[in-house]
Amino acid sequence: MNAMTFTSPVPRRPSRLWPTIFTVLAALVILIAVGGLQISWADVPKIPENVAKYLGLMFAPPSWEKLPRALLEMWRSVSMAWLGAILCVVVSIPLGILAARGVGPAWLRVALRGIFAVIRAVPEVIIALILLTVTGLTPFTGMLALGIAGIGTQGKWVYEAIESAEAGAAEAVRAAGGTTAEVTRWALWPAVAPVLMSFALYRFEINIRTSAILGMVGAGGIGSMLTNYTQFREWDTVGMLLIVVVVVTMLIDMISGAVRRRIMEGARPRDLARSA
Amino acid sequence: MTAPAVAPRRELPPKPRNILRVALIVTVLVTLTVAACTPAIGGVEIDLASISKHWANGAKKLGQMMQPNFAFLPRTVAPMLETLQMAVVGAAIAAAISVPLTLWAAKPTNANSVTRGVVRTAVNVVRAVPDLVYASVLVAMVGVGVLPGLITLVLFDLGIIVKLVSEAIDSADHGYMEAGRAAGGSQFQINRVTALPQTLPLFANQWLYTLELNVRISAILGFVGAGGIGRILDERRNFYAYGDVSVIILEILVVVVLIEVLSNALRKRLA
Repeated sequence: MNAMTFTSPVPRRPSRLWPTIFTVLAALVILIAVGGLQISWADVPKIPENVAKYLGLMFAPPSWEKLPRALLEMWRSVSMAWLGAILCVVVSIPLGILAARGVGPAWLRVALRGIFAVIRAVPEVIIALILLTVTGLTPFTGMLALGIAGIGTQGKWVYEAIESAEAGAAEAVRAAGGTTAEVTRWALWPAVAPVLMSFALYRFEINIRTSAILGMVGAGGIGSMLTNYTQFREWDTVGMLLIVVVVVTMLIDMISGAVRRRIMEGARPRDLARSA
Repeated sequence: MTAPAVAPRRELPPKPRNILRVALIVTVLVTLTVAACTPAIGGVEIDLASISKHWANGAKKLGQMMQPNFAFLPRTVAPMLETLQMAVVGAAIAAAISVPLTLWAAKPTNANSVTRGVVRTAVNVVRAVPDLVYASVLVAMVGVGVLPGLITLVLFDLGIIVKLVSEAIDSADHGYMEAGRAAGGSQFQINRVTALPQTLPLFANQWLYTLELNVRISAILGFVGAGGIGRILDERRNFYAYGDVSVIILEILVVVVLIEVLSNALRKRLA
């Protein structure tokens, strides 16, 4: 009897109707997609065996003979990524600022955002393939492709960062009679500069991965070497190349990640104490 | 009269300056950049002359791409459908595997530092390999077709979901989980009843994001024989049929935008 009086104040369970409908719909879409894919299911059980076999060929043991050449090619990929990131950031920061609400005129904003969206949709590889006809199968092409392909996303990040900056400083500069250029320089830029620097480093990290992909279509660097040795089926060298890619990428991620944290979180108390 | 004007200025704190550090940062950046454009040590050769010499080639190609050949559109429907199916299935498999892996990789949901370290390291290694590299190696391992593409998408998605969501769990507030622990729940029970419902919106967000990414990536997977719209893109490019290429790119653009709109609508409902 008492239980009744205690349970009644408990709020009613929220309706499960919509979540259930969503789940069923999602499950249906997935099932239809699985059914439509032309997978030879008979091969699926053999995958682990195959993968194990090739992993054995690659890593037991990898061939370190061509390591110096691999390191040189990796450095070329990193150079491509670095210069591509610089190109991308140098172009996308001013364009992104102009595309932010409250900075550039509306027509320019719409046009720039449209350009960013189109660049985002075109795969880097396609941009590289167009550039190939101008600059040939060179790392320079890879660098240009990275620089251009990154503008789409980078520009979007820039205007989103500026639009989410606190309005107070910008209003203060405007109240003091500042023009839009002065607002950008003295209110928006100081507010977003650390974020933008962090994004720039992040672009470099992304480019490291993409530069390997561009190498696979002939832009040079570690990707080209990897494709070649995969085609020669020299698996022990492929294994060594994969190790080089993974180790260098993780190292750069670690360094760049630490620098980004330092930029975003500022000096640690120890450093502050020293400068004071 | 001049004294009051000067007085407040003197009270300003000194501008923070660290010339040595700025000089060091600038030196490192400049050195890296110069080294990166020195061909003699393996850097990139900045060949601006070739641009001025051959820019017409690129302009011609762009001009050809500006005239999309829409008659080609019907032939792209089947590969596009294959790409979408691969994207959905890849995202779904990754979503299913990502839940236990993520809970293993986050500190509040896995107190065992050994298994946590193993999962985190594995995910970081998986993330460090570019997607197309997976695809090309897997094509050699399991043969040309949809399967290597699918595995590539799953691996790529897992790297993203596990890293982002486990970091979000790490930095979140854990009041509920502490309550669960105080009530005497085991780690599994706590994860099941508090951590999972709390992080489900985060998961859903990333799942939708990987679905978007998958469509973009499938566009290039076909270049190494891993199925989808990329195969036909590569084929038309090899035939120098740039009108067809631009139709395919436009189609990818439309599909990506549609999926973005759809997933944004779903996200709003989730939030």
